[in-house]
Amino acid sequence: MTDPTSPDPVRAAAERLLAARASGVPCAPVRDLITTADEAYAVQDRLTEHALAGGRRLTGRKIGLTSAAVQAQLGVDSPDFGMLFADMAVPDGAEIPPGAVLQPRAEAEIALVLDADLTHERHTVADLLRATAFALPAIEVVGSRIADWDITLVDTVADNASSGLYVLGTRPVPLRDLDLRLCGMVLERRGEQLSTGTGAACLGNPLNAALWLADTLVRVGRPLRAGDTVLTGALGPVVAAAPGDVFEARVEGLGDVRAAFAKEES
Amino acid sequence: MSIDVEALAATLDGAARDVRAIPKLTEAEPFDVATAYAVQRAVIERRERRGERLAGVKMGFTSRAKMAQMGVDDVIWGLLTDAMVAGPSVEVSGLIHPRVEPEIAYLIGREVRSVADVESAVAGVAVGFEVLDSRFADFSFTLPDVVADNASAARFGVGAWHPPRDLANAGMVLEIDGRVAQTGSSAAILGDPARSLRAAARLALGAGITLEPGWVVLAGAATAAVPLPKDAHVRVTCAGLGAVEVTT
Repeated sequence: MTDPTSPDPVRAAAERLLAARASGVPCAPVRDLITTADEAYAVQDRLTEHALAGGRRLTGRKIGLTSAAVQAQLGVDSPDFGMLFADMAVPDGAEIPPGAVLQPRAEAEIALVLDADLTHERHTVADLLRATAFALPAIEVVGSRIADWDITLVDTVADNASSGLYVLGTRPVPLRDLDLRLCGMVLERRGEQLSTGTGAACLGNPLNAALWLADTLVRVGRPLRAGDTVLTGALGPVVAAAPGDVFEARVEGLGDVRAAFAKEES
Repeated sequence: MSIDVEALAATLDGAARDVRAIPKLTEAEPFDVATAYAVQRAVIERRERRGERLAGVKMGFTSRAKMAQMGVDDVIWGLLTDAMVAGPSVEVSGLIHPRVEPEIAYLIGREVRSVADVESAVAGVAVGFEVLDSRFADFSFTLPDVVADNASAARFGVGAWHPPRDLANAGMVLEIDGRVAQTGSSAAILGDPARSLRAAARLALGAGITLEPGWVVLAGAATAAVPLPKDAHVRVTCAGLGAVEVTT
């Protein structure tokens, strides 16, 4: 039970995260304020309401914690999700300004773009396939408002699933032409291989992650809609990003996409 | 310094035959990589004297992670014999502490006379697995140790051969008892397993060994190896190449 005399912990957590984002100075974890996943999503929801009230356009969702290794690291057995807004989308290869994302890291993913709403209580893979217009290769630039990425499940969920920016490839591919489980992935910087993987690393298949998301979002009352982009989760290990880094991800069958970080201001 | 190559080979060969882990050879007396390959060759010669026939080569340390871990900047290689070919099952009791990893395999179709020649000499590609079984306790070894120990080679298997094709970024999954144990891309093998194939030709030619028709080149692992349990069903799947299975 929350002590009625103390300030609302959900509000306090949201304010701490908003202050970190506004100042560009990472904050302490929020797990001293909140303890459950429900409270963490309540914090995230507060941030979402704040964003929507500020005129930001919701463009989709990201799914996080989709790999066995990351789930083991955080001691969880379920993925999580965060919101994507239009101002988080970066064109392929466009410069990402310094400080745009706090403590940035890059990971290669498969993005699904929907052309139908997913509003059932439970979706089947058939529903998902029918609702997916096409897939794109993507680089998600994750970030953490929490200092040194010192996160537990509640910290990352509250912090919009540690989302930052996202870059989509530009050649849409229909799912009928893809084996999402076995599409190899390479993430490189200056031709140097940093990370490799395949679709199976994402909950066995990126479609499994998207199904989980579709059902979960109906439950929380903010279902996926036609036009939404779903970042399904990392296909291989995440890598730290430094100023000047240009990452290229190649996903077999989907093509390539680049995330370019501007050099440090001199 | 006098290293008794034959004695070291006998020690390694005995460890494999007795299914018994031994301490690192370099603990008693250090030796260099060139000597290590001489020991490796002597181990293979002992096997050949027992009637085993060469069946191909295997590449090791083909991933950036493994090279960094071992502090090396080139691949290593070992020789495969027909006795290492896994049938439908592998008896783990005949191995010390086996690990399994997903591989890309090349089938040599004609004698390889130069590095430039090797890709056109390939008759087929397949998904494969390799069972590693370092003869050293706890898989703990230096570079010369693991080279002398034939790059930990123990058993291998390949799926159906397919016509040669681009395998630069093929998704691979290793399952044990139907559950995903490792996932990765063939890109982890030197950025493209074809590079490992060329390295195999370079190293073999340099050592005076000709890649023969019918030989298999195991190009390297797409993921880290995992322990191979008893009474298990192992399947490796690769995009476009189907799957290979083995039980223990």
